[in-house]
Amino acid sequence: MDRWGRVRSFPVLLLLLSPVTVLHAQSPPRADGGRQARVSEVERVLRPLVESYGVSGMEGPVRATVERLLPRGLGRQTDSAGNLWVTLGRGEPTVVFIAHLDEIGFKITGIRADGSLDLSAAGGLFPSLWEAKPALIHTGRTMVPGVFMPRDSAAVENPQRTPPDLRADVGTTSRESTAALGIRVGNTLTMPKAFVRLAGTRATARSFDDRVGSAAQVLAVRRLDPARLRHTVIFVWSVREEIGLEGAQAVANALGLRPARVHAIDTFVSADSPLEPQNFALAPLGHGAVARALDNSSVTPPAYVDSLVALARARGIPLQVGTTNGGNDGSVFAAYGVPDVPIGWPLRYSHSPAETIDLRDVASLADLIQAVAERW
Amino acid sequence: MLILPRLVLAAGVLIWTTQPVKAGAQERNSAVAALAVRLASIPAVTGYEQGMVDTILRLLPAAARDRAGNARLQLGGGSAKRLLVCPLDEPGYVVGNLRQDGYLTLRRVPGRVSRLFDQQIEGQRVTIQGTRGPIPGVVAVRSIHLTRGRAALSDTPFTVDDAYVDVGAGSSAEAVELGLRVLAPVTLAKRPHRYGDDLLAAPVAGRRTACAALLVAVEQSRLRAKLLPPVTVAFATEQGLSERGLATLAKADGPFEETLIIDGRPGPLGSLLQGPDADTASRWSGLGRVERWSLPVRYSGTMVETASMEDADRLRDALIKWIGGDE
Repeated sequence: MDRWGRVRSFPVLLLLLSPVTVLHAQSPPRADGGRQARVSEVERVLRPLVESYGVSGMEGPVRATVERLLPRGLGRQTDSAGNLWVTLGRGEPTVVFIAHLDEIGFKITGIRADGSLDLSAAGGLFPSLWEAKPALIHTGRTMVPGVFMPRDSAAVENPQRTPPDLRADVGTTSRESTAALGIRVGNTLTMPKAFVRLAGTRATARSFDDRVGSAAQVLAVRRLDPARLRHTVIFVWSVREEIGLEGAQAVANALGLRPARVHAIDTFVSADSPLEPQNFALAPLGHGAVARALDNSSVTPPAYVDSLVALARARGIPLQVGTTNGGNDGSVFAAYGVPDVPIGWPLRYSHSPAETIDLRDVASLADLIQAVAERW
Repeated sequence: MLILPRLVLAAGVLIWTTQPVKAGAQERNSAVAALAVRLASIPAVTGYEQGMVDTILRLLPAAARDRAGNARLQLGGGSAKRLLVCPLDEPGYVVGNLRQDGYLTLRRVPGRVSRLFDQQIEGQRVTIQGTRGPIPGVVAVRSIHLTRGRAALSDTPFTVDDAYVDVGAGSSAEAVELGLRVLAPVTLAKRPHRYGDDLLAAPVAGRRTACAALLVAVEQSRLRAKLLPPVTVAFATEQGLSERGLATLAKADGPFEETLIIDGRPGPLGSLLQGPDADTASRWSGLGRVERWSLPVRYSGTMVETASMEDADRLRDALIKWIGGDE
């Protein structure tokens, strides 16, 4: 049977074998004791990841946090691009999961004579959300606090929402005194962030994109028994996704034709908000992981989507199916003919300091990654 | 227990808990600076300052709340002819409505703000003072990914009417269950931020730092209270709306011969801004001659309004002299 035939027959087989026949996507799971424990476990992994900083190109602190959260004694490698690899199981087919470590932010492009910093954005963002906010400069050795300078709105007749080019003030008055803090052109900037629980199982923080994906992979790896895997499964925590999928490209080049499938584990930007048109991307929070079947970078072959749905159904894992905007790390494997089956979770207010999720969705994402690794 | 140790201990605990990172430079950590961080972390929306007043009363047990909600006390014996005031309030919001889908909408409290004031809450975390305590929420913002390939967004500034607050509730009933009601005060989540050698960035950082300087000055002056000329010290409410607190002091405790108002005001850091305030004196005749001393602030009226802790210590010293009748 060719690959497509196996894919097509897979859902039928699972349905026959499974006692679970109801798709759970439309009803949030009950918050029973076991579910609460699972949510607590998710929070224990996700919180330290969110509270690590790593603008594209400076992901070291986040990578270190992932390594600390992985099971002790588990083999891992960091490649020359900075991607972190964990390989489990043996034999073919090889299946790759990839979540990115980096977050959006800014880079320093110049230091002015008055000590202030010129900035350029790293990744897609609304500059107005950063204006007049606390800042952190990441020098690679330490974090230096400062502020994103507000424009003088009193001096502008009719101010627009978008500010002029953003700058940062670190409380110095000369180029030399800024340099004395260890700040250099090329350093990165973010704003302080914290993981904060909202009502029920909701939470907010900046950089859930893609710390949730990174956390879900950690949670799955913790639960997998490598001895019971029937083929090779590679988990990658990649770098520089937000500025052009650069880390993933290095992984795709290294693996070439070998992978049978790649699963980008990344945000499903949801229209579940009163501000969004709901023509598409409507995946409500709390209703489970999402098969990101079509985005700006890839289209998942429909038979693969069917297989994923059938697997989730067989395991009783809530799963939604949808289409959203954005690119994903798996798409760069396309040049090698590798099918990309991205899986995400619903996120509100993407690339903002107010990103919001439901922790149950992270649990379902981790469960689905585990199921795919073990059974597909 | 002396109050100064109480001030320093309380503020010290808070500064330790609110500092997210190690500063790259040496910070100035005087009692005033520690207390300024504490006060800058407490919301006090105009008309809803009583949580802040409670804190002032805990720090100054000799003070009492008056009919306008001000915290006031008298130093020295006899009839006070001098008044020393620091306003407490800040611009902010209250819950205007609880939507069926669980989102909250807002109404800004009256008072003057800059044209970009509302924009500062878009896509940020806020705190709502619910009946059961503070509730975190976020102000919704369009997902940038979902704007691609669609008509360009308007570039007019965000206003309060664009604000939808997400607290994680799925219905208005869930929001009510959390203790949320119409009129609950709302502010940006308070995250006082130290930077540079001696700078503090926070909403109304100048005003909060001035009040911290006054608290420390009062405490240090109390050590020689019996020798002091009488002076009424007050932390006043609703300055940003009708000056209700200040006016009540003038009418209920006056007439005074002299009033000193301390606050924050835009200006170059490094020296206090001191001068007469004839307008206020003419509005409230019971205040007598009015002088205004302001801490200079950078980025006034923004979330990162910045005050210098060196200036704050300078203000504390000047206030101690003024209270003692030496200036």
